[in-house]
Amino acid sequence: MTRRTHPLLSVWAWLTFSFLYLPILVLIAFSFNDSKFGATWAGFTTKWYGVLFAREDVRAALVNTLTVAALSTLVSTALGTLVGLGLWRYTLKHRTALTALLVLPIVIPDVVLGVMLLMFYALLRGALERFGWTYENGFWTVTLAHVTFQLSYVALTVRSRLAGYGRELEEAAHDLGASSTQAFWKVTFPLARPGILAGALLAFTLSLDDFVVTYLTSGSGFRTLPVLIYTAVRKGVTPDINALSTLLVLFTVGALVVSYLLVRPRPARPGPESR
Amino acid sequence: MRRLSVTLLAGALLLGACHRVADSEPTPEGTTSPVTTARNDGRTLRIFMWSDYIDPAVVKTFEKSHGVKVVIDTFESNESMLAKLQGGGASYDLANPSNYVVQTMVRARLLQPVGKEELRNFGNLAAGFLNPNFDPGNVYTIPYQFAATGLAYNAGRYTPPVDSWALIFGPDDRVKFALLDDPREVIGAALKYLGYSVNTGRVEELREARNLLRRTVRKKGFESFAGGPEIRNKLLAAQIDLGQIYVGDLLQGAAEDDRLKVFLPREGTTISTDTLVLLRGSPNPGLARTFLNYVLNAEVSAAISNYTYYGNPNRAARPLLDPLLLTQRGAMPTDEDFRSGRVEFIDELPPGTTPRIYDRIWTDLKSR
Repeated sequence: MTRRTHPLLSVWAWLTFSFLYLPILVLIAFSFNDSKFGATWAGFTTKWYGVLFAREDVRAALVNTLTVAALSTLVSTALGTLVGLGLWRYTLKHRTALTALLVLPIVIPDVVLGVMLLMFYALLRGALERFGWTYENGFWTVTLAHVTFQLSYVALTVRSRLAGYGRELEEAAHDLGASSTQAFWKVTFPLARPGILAGALLAFTLSLDDFVVTYLTSGSGFRTLPVLIYTAVRKGVTPDINALSTLLVLFTVGALVVSYLLVRPRPARPGPESR
Repeated sequence: MRRLSVTLLAGALLLGACHRVADSEPTPEGTTSPVTTARNDGRTLRIFMWSDYIDPAVVKTFEKSHGVKVVIDTFESNESMLAKLQGGGASYDLANPSNYVVQTMVRARLLQPVGKEELRNFGNLAAGFLNPNFDPGNVYTIPYQFAATGLAYNAGRYTPPVDSWALIFGPDDRVKFALLDDPREVIGAALKYLGYSVNTGRVEELREARNLLRRTVRKKGFESFAGGPEIRNKLLAAQIDLGQIYVGDLLQGAAEDDRLKVFLPREGTTISTDTLVLLRGSPNPGLARTFLNYVLNAEVSAAISNYTYYGNPNRAARPLLDPLLLTQRGAMPTDEDFRSGRVEFIDELPPGTTPRIYDRIWTDLKSR
């Protein structure tokens, strides 16, 4: 079934994997270390998780992180799905240009995106002030900022999920007497669904992990977990921050695994479905 | 992390440039401050500072006694703080920059005078911290906490025979040591050892320092360039004999393990202050000044240092400090150290010195 690989190759593979994952494992291990500085192993403890949950700023940041992630994922998934479907379904005049525009937020450095948004919000505020409206950066500006980069990921995931299918499927549905709405809900949407869910999970993890854009657009008094973690490292990483990072890693990995399971190609089954 | 700081700095500069364009229309008050104003409710004080840099108990007391709320947001580098403030997305009353970015902030018109005349406790400050080069007359800053750079060791493993940079820069090849991952600190230490100012712009002095450093990093004992907390951890784990370190970072470890010791080399060393500044867009400047005065109070100031283990610039607070801060040689430089130039603030480079000289030396060292 499989060809035997050269033994050195598997050694190399193991080395590569350790290089990638050992730091994470060390981080997780040290979140259970009973020493404040983590330089040496001083015994097993779970007290840092207790310390962590006793911290009011951590709890507030956790709530902020999850609310922003949930809301921005909802919005970006709805919009991104529409964009992805549109790109797939219609022959648009400037499709290449539109796709490029969609890729832009993915390839553009975070810091540039953050600074651009920051300036945009400053200009917007200036404009709104003329009408006597005023707002402060915080929950809404961060959520909107997250939508800007999440949307691209969702749209591209949905589009690539559908890329293998032609419009014939919808046409066939019409031939069988389905209305446009029925064709959409009975044929197109089920096809796109794994892509939509995967895109949504990806969007959620991106929001959960984002530091730079969040930091720049969050105004004062609004913090998320990555911002809290990242700004704490100057003083050296304390074990409660290790514990927090461990939780964030587990969250992210969990979401990614689910997202992978959703888009993974199903093994072909014999039957009417197979082509 | 360093790279991120650089990109953020680039972002800050970009923003600065853009704002100059956007602000070319004069505003009624003639200010060009991009800082936005939040609602002045007089009840919320917003402070932008380094992480874990104030005793929470001190903040609680202030909140209670004044019936206000204090919001503290944190940043991880001076550059990223600047990026956020210049972007105009946040309204803070006070910020906590290190001395070397103060002038940049003044030039960017981000600050307003702290009004030291109104601060009753201003007189508590030690002379060495008054009237610094980066802010003559203390118009815009009050010193908050400082970090002198010293040499640290783990007495369980090694005890240095002399209190000199010669331990590192001298011919001895056996001592295992690490240096701070910071060009101004490392080049500054070499300059001090050679008897020059850490803020020198003279090419020949810098060249001499470079040659010395080249030899130093080729020594068998040289272990690595690292951050302060990392060097502290290496000392705790007894991986190195000596480490260049910010005294505060070391003392935090010394509080757990009393074998950790630190001293300021006799040739002298660098020092940097983290200041408190009043931002131009401050929604509650009155409350902010009340807080500044509160922080200058001897007991409050001592409580903060006893929490952070960083240096305390408050003379009146000295008797109340944790013995660790007083017994370790050099944790508190004396007024004489300042007068004689033994400890020097890292300033912005003198005009005419290109930072490129520093960059070239640094690249040269790191690519050895």
